[in-house]
Amino acid sequence: MTKFHPELHLLTEYAAGDLPLAQSACVSAHMHYCDQCRRAVGQLQDLGGVLLEQLNPEPVGDAMLDAVLARLDEEPPLMYAQTEEVAVSRTPAILRRLMSGDFSDLSWKKVSKALSISYLKTGDSGYEFALYHIKAGGRIPDHDHRGSEMTLILQGGFSDANGSYHVGDFIYRETDDTHAPTALQSEDCICLAVLDAPLKFTGWKHRWMNPFLRLQAG
Amino acid sequence: MTESTGGEKSSWDVPTGRRTDEWSECLTLIAENQDRAAFTRFFRHFAPLIKAFALSGSTMSQMHADELVQEVMLKTWQKAKAFNPEKAAASTWVYTIARNCRTDMFRRLQKFDTPLAAEDFTPETDSEEPFSILQSKRSSDKIRELMAGLPTDQAQILAKVYMEGKSHAEAAAELDLPLGTVKSRVRLAIQKLQIQIERQ
Repeated sequence: MTKFHPELHLLTEYAAGDLPLAQSACVSAHMHYCDQCRRAVGQLQDLGGVLLEQLNPEPVGDAMLDAVLARLDEEPPLMYAQTEEVAVSRTPAILRRLMSGDFSDLSWKKVSKALSISYLKTGDSGYEFALYHIKAGGRIPDHDHRGSEMTLILQGGFSDANGSYHVGDFIYRETDDTHAPTALQSEDCICLAVLDAPLKFTGWKHRWMNPFLRLQAG
Repeated sequence: MTESTGGEKSSWDVPTGRRTDEWSECLTLIAENQDRAAFTRFFRHFAPLIKAFALSGSTMSQMHADELVQEVMLKTWQKAKAFNPEKAAASTWVYTIARNCRTDMFRRLQKFDTPLAAEDFTPETDSEEPFSILQSKRSSDKIRELMAGLPTDQAQILAKVYMEGKSHAEAAAELDLPLGTVKSRVRLAIQKLQIQIERQ
């Protein structure tokens, strides 16, 4: 059972299709773990259906109906056939679509003794979308955020001054929060981080790291 | 759980849980018999609504709006088998298809190079989640009922967020309101519509 969730506004923007692609993917991945948010989004989509019904209809001519009727025998694209057979896996489907293989098959960039990063390509140039691998007990240096940061825990967990977080937990930070998460002692932590601006490490000892953490969006 | 199931049985606790409204029946006929007459009825009802959806907020040209209507209606035909009348209202189902098609169209027009289609963002579910079925069956009807009592300023924000596809920040900028005001109107509207966000 996850304890930390996207707030109402993020869920609403997600249900209404308003979130940028990278953030939407992160919220979607959280719902892989969270029944509560899936149910909430279900109702928020019901609201979308009701609002759709209440629009003032725009006239659509018979020509268009005929055009669509003429296309009904087209072979549907393949994607509709495959939904049934998808086995539910431990990793959210949206991430499996972005990774070829498992976490261990990705190319990881070592940033410090405790931290490796693997960047995934989403096509959303406004956001960096990356997996962070933190060694058990390892500490991520103090850093603050020039923009917002969404984090979703995929394996293990970490703690910071605000509490401890476990698989499925979703954390959203706005600009100018500083924090220094430490992975739990029991196992390595893998989390998804979606950033809308580069991270900047604040401790002087880690200043050299910044070049490695340039925004790698896309 | 924040919701008690006692006391309101008569209005929604139908034993089979099956929806029997006209549009769900149309979808079932399409799925089971490839019924073109049912599709035509469905088209005449929903196509004008999809077109209104496409044109609201209006960054979309007439040509693209027409393309979107055709795409959405064709998908309802192709995907009708995936519609489960026990899980969702027909309007919710059509809305999610229209929302996804619009998102994909915008990304196509903006030449996004992404491996993801909007459909991929719907999380897969393994279990049947019986509780959520009851919740969602009831939720559409209840929202429709409560919508009438929503203050104009709240309804206006919901229209921007859902139909025009604006983020809260975009809605705030357009209406020249502080972001906090937009957020609190959304929150109040969601409360008034009795949409339950369970938190432990």
